[in-house]
Formats: sequence, C-alpha cells, structure tokens
Amino acid sequence: MGAGRDIALLARRWRWARRSLLPHSAIPHAPPAQPREFPTEWARTPAGQVARAGVQQGGLKPVLWTQTRPEVYGREHLDGLEAPAIFVANHSSHLDAPLVLCSLPPGWARQVAVGAAADYFFDARWRASLTALAFNAFPVERRGGTRVTGTAKRLLGEGWSLLLFPEGTRSSDGWMQDFRSGPARLCCGGGVPAVPVALRGTYRAMPRGRHWPGPGRPRVVVRFGRPLRPEQGERPSAFSERLTEGIARLWDEEETTWWEAQRRDRAELLAGTAGPDAPRWRRTWESTRPDRATTTGPFRTWPE
Amino acid sequence: MLDVDERTPPLIVHHGEGFSLQQFPLGTRVVYPPDSLPGLPDVTAAIDAALDEPIDSPPLDELLFADMRLAIVFDDLSIPLPPMRAPDIRQRVVEAVIERAAQAGVDDVHLIAANSLHRRMTPDELQHILGERVFRSFWPERLRNHDAEDPDDLVVLGETGHGEVVEINRTAAEADLLVYVNVNLIAMNGGDKSVPVGLASYRSLRHHHNVHTMLHSRSFNDPPRSAMHHSYDRMGDVVADTVRLFQIETTVNNETFPPQFDFLNTREWEWSYRQQGAYLAAKRANELAPAKVRRKVWQAVEAPYEVTSVNAGEVNAVHERTLANVHRQQLTEIDGQADILVFGLPYLCPYNVNSVMNPILVSCLGLGYYFNMYKNRPVVREGGVLIAFHPVPWEFHQVHHPSYVDFFDEVLAETTDPAAIEAKFEQAYATDPWYVHLYRTSYAYHGVHPFYMWYWGAHALDHLDDVIFVGANRKSVRRMGFRSASTFNDALEMASDSVGRSPRITYMHTPPLTMAEVR
Repeated sequence: MGAGRDIALLARRWRWARRSLLPHSAIPHAPPAQPREFPTEWARTPAGQVARAGVQQGGLKPVLWTQTRPEVYGREHLDGLEAPAIFVANHSSHLDAPLVLCSLPPGWARQVAVGAAADYFFDARWRASLTALAFNAFPVERRGGTRVTGTAKRLLGEGWSLLLFPEGTRSSDGWMQDFRSGPARLCCGGGVPAVPVALRGTYRAMPRGRHWPGPGRPRVVVRFGRPLRPEQGERPSAFSERLTEGIARLWDEEETTWWEAQRRDRAELLAGTAGPDAPRWRRTWESTRPDRATTTGPFRTWPE
Repeated sequence: MLDVDERTPPLIVHHGEGFSLQQFPLGTRVVYPPDSLPGLPDVTAAIDAALDEPIDSPPLDELLFADMRLAIVFDDLSIPLPPMRAPDIRQRVVEAVIERAAQAGVDDVHLIAANSLHRRMTPDELQHILGERVFRSFWPERLRNHDAEDPDDLVVLGETGHGEVVEINRTAAEADLLVYVNVNLIAMNGGDKSVPVGLASYRSLRHHHNVHTMLHSRSFNDPPRSAMHHSYDRMGDVVADTVRLFQIETTVNNETFPPQFDFLNTREWEWSYRQQGAYLAAKRANELAPAKVRRKVWQAVEAPYEVTSVNAGEVNAVHERTLANVHRQQLTEIDGQADILVFGLPYLCPYNVNSVMNPILVSCLGLGYYFNMYKNRPVVREGGVLIAFHPVPWEFHQVHHPSYVDFFDEVLAETTDPAAIEAKFEQAYATDPWYVHLYRTSYAYHGVHPFYMWYWGAHALDHLDDVIFVGANRKSVRRMGFRSASTFNDALEMASDSVGRSPRITYMHTPPLTMAEVR
C-alpha cells in the first residue's frame, strides 16, 4: 500500500480533525479524560472582542435571523442590572447560545462568556479556537473535577458575565432536564444575580443531529426573565430550584399567558417543562409538532 | 478485550519484518495484552532483598564460603524477546551474586549459559546479557556456553520414577552451590525447566521434548496441565536431591517496543497524531529499506522492559511467585472458544535472535508458542482454523540452522506428521556427527532442534482443522502442509470450508504477549 493510501486510511478511520470515537466495547475501559484547559484568554482581548463582534453581527445574526424567525421578549428586565450576571437557559439545540448572544442588547453581548462542554467543543484545537472566538466560550468539565467552576469564578471576578446551560447537555427530546447545581453555586458563592432565560422552538428548528435550521424559517423564542438574586445564606440547591422555577414560568408564558403563568403553582410549571410521561418517541413527537400559527407557507403535517 | 464494531479502526497486524493495518470483520473479538505493569522502583534494592531474604532457603551470604566452587548459570539469549535494553536484568543479578561471592572469598566461580541444545552465544551476545564488567572478568576461561555434547562435562544425576535419565552439566552439578539466574518471559519458562532443561543433554531432553508429551501438554504454558512440566518436575526432584541449588527468578512487564515504535504497544483507537505519524514513517521506511537493512534494524530492536519482580530461594516456592507475576502481566480472561483464531506473527521467535526466521520457526512460533498461550481451553475450538500473517520466506541461516535446511528439504518433503517424523528421522539427526560438530564448534543449533520445533506445534496440528498463512510464500507453506491466501478475506473464504459462513473470530493482538484464560 502506498504512502498516499496509508495517509488516506488514517485520516478516514482515525477521523482526523473530527471527534474521535471509541469502539463501543472499549468505552467502559477507557481511562477518564484528564481535564484540560484550552487557553481562551486571547479571545477576550480587545482584538478578540472586535473580531467576535464582527462574527456575531456580520455572520451569526444575519444567518439566524434569515434562517429562523426569532422573537425576543423581556430584554427590559436587564435595564438597571449591573454586570456581572449569569444568564441561565434551558438547552436543546446548537442554536441556543448564538440566539441568546444575538438577542442581548449590544452592551451585554460584548461582555458575556459562554460555558461550553470541554469534551465536545474543546476536544480539537480548530474547533476550540472557533468556539472561543465566535462565542467567547470557555471550557466546562461536564463530568466534574476541580476545574468545573474554577474558570467561571475567575471570569466573574474579572467582570465577565456568563451564559450557562445547567442541564449540562442538549435535551434529547426537546423537554427540559434536571438542572445541575454549578450555576447556582457560582451565584451563591459570589453573590451574583442570575437571569433566567427560556428558549422555545429551538429544538424544533434544529434538534440534535441537524447542523442547519429546518426549512420554513421556524419560529424561535427567547424570553428573558426578571433577575434573581441569591438571598443571604441561601443554599445553592434552593437557589437552583428558584432558577428552575423562573425558567419554567417563562416557558409556560409561551404556552399560556403571563398572567396564567403567574397563577400556576410550582408543580404545574415543572410538569409543563418536563413533558409528557410517555415513551421517548411521543415526547419527541410533541416537541417537534409544527408551529401552525407562525410557520410560513402552507402548513403540512408531513414535510415534503 | 474488544469487539470490532463500525467505530473500530483497522488493527495492527505483524507479518514478519513488517506490519500493516488490517480491517477485521464486525464482531471479531480482539484480545489485547493487559496494560504494562509499572516496574519496580528500585531494582537493586529488590535484588538485595531477594538474596538476603530468600524463600524457603538460607540467605545467599550464608551459602557462600571461601574455597567453594560456585556455578552461576543463566538463561540464554532466547529470552526475553526482543532482547532487553542494557542493562539486562541477568547482568544486574549476576553482578550482585558475584559481589557477594567476592566478599565471601570465593575464588572458584564458573558462569555457564544454559543454552541446552540452542546455538552457542557469541562473545558479543554474552557481553550484552552479562555486561562488560562480568564479561571482562570471566571470559573465556570461566564464562562459557553449556555444551550438551561434551562427554567430559556431563554427569548423570539419576533417574526419575518414570525412568527418565537426568543428565546435566557436570561443572554446574558438582559445584558446592549452583545459582540459577532466570528471566521469566512466559509461564512455560523457569522453575524446574531451568536446570533440568537448560543444562541438559539430548539423552535427557528426549524424555519430555517429544510428540507424546506435547500432545498431552494443554497447554505447555499452563504447568499444572502440561505433561512436559510434569516431567520437568520429576527431574527437578532428582536435581534437588543431588545439587545445592539457589534459584533467582525475575519477571518483566510488557514494554516490548522502544518509544519510537510505541504505537505497537498502544491500542489503535488510542493512537495520538504523533503515533499515527510514527506508524506512517516506520511503515514507509520499512517498505523502502533493502532487505538486509530491514533485518538489521529489526534485530537491533531492544525492549525497554522494566522488572516487575525478583524472587530467590527454593525453586518451586520461587517459581510459584514468578508465575503469579507472569499471569498478573499477561493473563486475559475470555469467554468461550472461537472458530477462527488469527495471529500476526512478528519477526522474532526465541530461536532467531540475530538470525533468520525460517519457515519451521514460523510454524513453531504460530502453532507452538502463540497457539499455546492459553489456560483451561485453547482459544480456538477443536476443528477450528488458524489464520496467521507472515511472509514465510524460504530462507535459512546457514550457520545457525544447518539441520533445519535438511529437515525442511528432506523430512518435511516426505511427511509432516510429527509422530512419523519422530519415529523415522529424529535419531539420525540427533546423532549426526556433522551436526554435533557444528553445534560444538560453530554457532549452530543442535541437529535435533528442528524436530523439537516441529513437535512444538503437534498439539495445534492435532487440534486444528486448517492452518492458513496470509501473504506467505506458497511453496514454503505448502511444504509444511498448510495453505496460503493472498489476503485476509481470501483466508476467511477458505476457512469457511471448515467453520461455515458465520464464524466466531478471535484476533490475538500480540506482541506484546498475552495469555488467554478461556472460560
């Protein structure tokens, strides 16, 4: 076999510049990945900020706003809020982070850093560099470890606000999963306010496995809630519950009205975000039900 | 252990002085060697501790006294494989023993390589094993190879209850103390194999190096189930009754290849970009190199083995611990037998260090050593198929393996049946004066050695329905009664005659060495 064919074989089967895959039977025996800190400080330098503004305003936003139909509510809650703050959102699509960043008022968008999964976005150098530049992202160890919150604390200390997704990963069926306590611990530990953000329609627009929004400019909604501040001595678990409830209320506003969402009790709110207690296909089915009211063009039950 | 799925990259397969990536069918079970164990942090301290606090024996210092005759016997170059990067563990142990002998005022010291019927080692090879200091002090008067055909330096110690004659080296047997220094690479080595085999004559060896014994050794790497080892043990008892023996055994880990070839020590899906680059560079350089250069480079490979244990004292007690350490490094448990067993045979076996791996040695490595790397049951079922990767060139080292040439041309041309060969040809080759002369004065393996190599595969030949070599010289493979295939897929197609269209395939990913415990 010639050298060229050898190189092609290695590039294909070892997935050069792509995420490497463990054989299934090797997964239980794989040593735990050592947390590694990809340097992202360069992305927060003035030059990095200028480049990012260009990428977001000149690239991401035009694409998002032409491929989807974003609706943004509640930006007024940010008036008077002083940085740093932690934006906490539900997560079901790769659209979520750019959607929130492009929905923020320009003053906020410039100073928000996004927590991104170290094992997903920072496993290859090229992917890590792009993610850090475009989203001001920093690596977050999803499997725990000493550096889970270390970088986040440092960034808060430097005055950067954060966008975090406490579910830890994108929802596999569009419904909200349990929150991890990391964001709440950061808020309680540093007395930092949290802004609940509910994202609706992003799963329907671009679920796991899709790399581009679906056809028909699907409607996506970003709802910013009133900032929540940890009370003196409040435990992270209690604050995390308040955060969950805050997002659930915003989520419910999309289904009902602001007034009805205010009147519902906590159990009803959470039941609404958790989805039906049914097999996975039915949960996915409900999450992907076409938005009849706003999807452009004639409605089709089955896409062409 | 791994089951090949769609995510599994092609796997490294050795084939002689080369290697390549081979795609295996989905569902193939791959048996990898266990991860290399960490070496002892302080080998010198471990040697001292073993000599000072031996098992079931007084400390070495108490056994040494002025005016005594001390014989230090050590394993020859057939182990470990590849040869260990200097300093060899035997050098370190021998130096420690000699240091103590010097302090005790011992003058009469003899160092003897336990090469049995293997070829004599060259001075350079002895120096590599023992180090410059030992070599300079003792060569050539007091450092030598065992000569199994020297009637003046052999002595019969007695007979076992089974009528087995125990005849070994006289100088070693009649010493006041015989210190045996071993490196235990696989479970077959060491224990009562050391003295009764390493220092024996043909007259003694024929009791266990024969077809009947090999057919009843299942496997010869599992001493309790090995008729060969039962014979060693009986002979060991005779030795123990007549010789004051102090056994020192050592084990090494699985660091088989040096850092530039570390991709050969690493599971493929864990290859870094650097290791992928090293693979590409090494493979390309290997393909472009002239044959002589290629062989020279491969034979120059020295393993960065690290020592995992040093034990000394009474043979059986020491060997029990040694075996536990070998198993700790090599044993992999697997469920059930396969229909097809696949090996990639490398460039080296115990009998072609600094030499040529001729077809008989290829057969011995595959059907003998590798096939027998099991406990309980063979990895492949009875009536199964062995597929081995090796070019099997029709090539012999004329100095090292003269009787192999004749064995291949004369004996195998007539029959490949081990029992028939043993009955008709063995005696003539074993006593041929020319082969004896070459063994004693040149660097030739004994005339009977190719027979033993053929017997080594007797159990596999009896057990398997078919043996197929991939990418091999068709003439040499046919001479040995095997079949050859151009590609692995062709080999699988040929194997389907015996095992059907949906065989269970097991690939033993070795070297580094692994031993399967088949449940």
